[in-house]
Amino acid sequence: MAYAILFGSFTALMLIGMPIAFCLGIASFATVLYLGLPPIVVFQQLNSGMNVFAMMAIPFFIFAGDLMVRGGIANRLIRFAAGLVGHLRGGLGQVNIVASTLFGGISGSAVADASAVGGLMVPQMAARGYDRDYAVNVTVNAAIIALMIPPSHNMILYSIAAGGNVSVADLFTAGIVPGLLLAAALMVTAYIVARRKGYPSEPFPGIARLGYYLLASFPGILLIGIIFGGVRSGVFTATESSCIAVLYAFLVAMLVYRELDWAGFIEAVMGAVRTTAMVLLVIGTAASFAWLMAFLQVQTLMIGTIRAISDNPIIVLLVINIALLILGTFMDMAPLVIISTPVLLPVVKAFGVDPVHFGVVMILNAGIGLNTPPVGTVLFVGCAVGGITIREAMRTIWPFFGASIAVLMAVTYIPTLSLWLPSLFR
Amino acid sequence: QEITLRSADIHPDGYPTVDAVKYMGELVSQRTNGRIQIQVMNNAVLGQEKDTIEQTRFGVIDMNRVNAAPFNNLVPETTVLGLPFLFRSTEHMHNVVDGPIGDEILKAFEPHGLIGLAYYDSGARSFYTTKKPIEKLADLKGMKIRVQQSDLWIAMMEAFGANPTPMPMGEVYSSLETGVVDGAENNWPSYESARHYEVAKNYTLTEHSLNPEILVISKLSWDKLSPEDQQIVRQTAKDSVGKMRELWTAREKSSEEKVRAGGANVIKVNKDEFAAAMKPVYDRFVTDPKMKDLLQRIQDVK
Amino acid sequence: MRNFMLTIRPVLGVLSRLSLYIAGLGIVAMTLIVGWQVFGRYVLNDSPSWSEPLSLYLMSWFIMLGAAVGVRESVHLGLDIVRYAMPPAIQKAMDLISLGLIVLFGIGMTYYSALLAIGTWSATIPVLGWPGGTDFFPMIVGGAMIALFSLERFVDVAIGEEIPADIVVQEAV
Ligand code: NA
Ligand code: NA
Repeated sequence: MAYAILFGSFTALMLIGMPIAFCLGIASFATVLYLGLPPIVVFQQLNSGMNVFAMMAIPFFIFAGDLMVRGGIANRLIRFAAGLVGHLRGGLGQVNIVASTLFGGISGSAVADASAVGGLMVPQMAARGYDRDYAVNVTVNAAIIALMIPPSHNMILYSIAAGGNVSVADLFTAGIVPGLLLAAALMVTAYIVARRKGYPSEPFPGIARLGYYLLASFPGILLIGIIFGGVRSGVFTATESSCIAVLYAFLVAMLVYRELDWAGFIEAVMGAVRTTAMVLLVIGTAASFAWLMAFLQVQTLMIGTIRAISDNPIIVLLVINIALLILGTFMDMAPLVIISTPVLLPVVKAFGVDPVHFGVVMILNAGIGLNTPPVGTVLFVGCAVGGITIREAMRTIWPFFGASIAVLMAVTYIPTLSLWLPSLFR
Repeated sequence: QEITLRSADIHPDGYPTVDAVKYMGELVSQRTNGRIQIQVMNNAVLGQEKDTIEQTRFGVIDMNRVNAAPFNNLVPETTVLGLPFLFRSTEHMHNVVDGPIGDEILKAFEPHGLIGLAYYDSGARSFYTTKKPIEKLADLKGMKIRVQQSDLWIAMMEAFGANPTPMPMGEVYSSLETGVVDGAENNWPSYESARHYEVAKNYTLTEHSLNPEILVISKLSWDKLSPEDQQIVRQTAKDSVGKMRELWTAREKSSEEKVRAGGANVIKVNKDEFAAAMKPVYDRFVTDPKMKDLLQRIQDVK
Repeated sequence: MRNFMLTIRPVLGVLSRLSLYIAGLGIVAMTLIVGWQVFGRYVLNDSPSWSEPLSLYLMSWFIMLGAAVGVRESVHLGLDIVRYAMPPAIQKAMDLISLGLIVLFGIGMTYYSALLAIGTWSATIPVLGWPGGTDFFPMIVGGAMIALFSLERFVDVAIGEEIPADIVVQEAV
């Protein structure tokens, strides 16, 4: 009965359109009342869920991303990407993907990636005769790369949800190869679709101009090195690297490019507050929800259920992936990671899956969920910047979904893709 | 009627504290013909120790097995137990907590909504470092050592001459691996189970703290039990201590073997030199006469 | 009612803008504090012990104040696919239920956080040395503001006042 109240009220509240932070909080509250427990526990867990040092990476990386967009870092990276791959078939689609990968190397947020790259690329693509739905679909799928390539605050979130015993430095490193693989798969898909539709390519700007673009975007590219190098060499922790990214983006935008003024800075601050306060509130109420799931021993039930389905790790991972994809259609990334990690990690561990490997699978899977309606934040942002409806985007998104899911399967069943790179640093 | 007491623990399955409370649960069940059960909810599923202490005090859960350190800011008497080099040996520690002083400190929990039931072992904490091994006190100078977020521990590291770096347990492995910190300190089982020995291979046997674990029950849950049941719960908790110490010794031994097999470099040092540096810590944390008296009596125990 | 809302609206507007600015100061201060933590540890070899608890405390304020403003600006993202398929009357009922429950949740947050603050007052926060209860101040204030702002929205919906959403922000991550 307690299960029914917890999950039933959550679903009912979602359906009437209540913001997810409150669905989680109110469902927890109702369940605690039913169980006769002191309701203080809901708010204690909400407070503890927010009070995690590693969680600071979320406002910091989103703040840094905002500064990069306003301060001219993002558009220089995109210009460099345009020079680099614009001459390929469906050139601007390829540019979009490479720009996402580069920007993903300095930002951890798929939403920031979709709005930064999409905002600049979709209008240009439309002007050169690309269909808007193609432009949006490339943008939103490529944005997921930002979650895989370090830095990624979602990897930090996973590490927290896993009880803090999974190395964030390892998770960061483990995401690189799968992230690049996803980029490659999307580039191939974009190429095939572009060929069929007969999209144009851009002239190659020449080595000299390309060199100039590289130089101009160098401070942005340097940040990739600073973050990854700084974390791996022990100057700062993965969490602290997010703060370094803010300070660095601020300095580059203010002193090098001089494109950010104080008014722009204040706008960036307010943008970061508006976006992240809500995300962090969701994380807090998700912690209360997760506490109740632990109290009601949902884990034990899950392990039993999955064991009843199969004892074969291949099937188990498939079942978990499908379950996560379904949950991901109507749940945002942060609550999905917080709620499902403590439930699923013990299950896959029992089947000998490495927690770092599973982290990469989980982030990629939940990342795909950011593009599936009804709750698909990145898809929403992409459609908003592209000026098309979600239905229009969904009509032609399937090849890109196919590519993403193929990469998900490869990452799931070939652990080496994730674990090889971190093993080099041991 | 039937009663299920929920008990929190942050450690994984098979850890001695977890198994000891489970063993206590078996004893309680036997002695009440199954009327009272204990359900151990370990792996920190209910939250970190600070959270579960609050939950126990407010009656959300019934029992809790926590190290003495997180109680310091709530029950001041527990601070004494964590003082560096307070106990001369494990035997000395057992003699203190098994005697009247131990009972006295357990009594001090009651005004804070908790009933202290028993002390469990937590072994001795020692330093481990990544690059430079600690062979004498001077080696610690300026080293970045991870500590728990606690005034006592920060003061202790400062007295050792190190640079105390507070950090949540979850970030320690990465930080040792990448070099954010130069070392940390813990007992054999945690050094092993957190896999810190993979990245910090020099384990120096300073054995600077023998701070015990404490098993408590919520006063709210306690008051719901009949006097007879209270007696049974208290006695079974005491009876689980022997079993816990047995499990602990075995676990320490197997952890040490595993760590040594994993390539750890174990270093013996002259502990007196380290102990002598701790005077500022005693001066700062043992100030009022009551605490001084408690300290003196602990030191007087044979 | 409509007149009352007209009088009260500027007051709530100021309150919400003030919260937003304080939260903004919070995130800037957090950046400086964590930056100092790295500098202190790596360059000065003297790790500040106060930086972590203090920046966390600021984060709690910044989340609660920012989230309350989010309630007022209706930028919290929900699943609206079912809502849109409904006739206007049902939509209105759904909104009233949703906002009404959020009012209650906000009140509950303030009440139970106050109980937590009282119950943990005698403990001390390590390093900062503040009473343990201060940890819950952001939620006491934030809960009240969430209740207040969602009540404002509740009344608006009930009397059929259309509030233009000045800002549309997507829930990120
Ligand atoms: Na990234
Ligand atoms: Na989705």
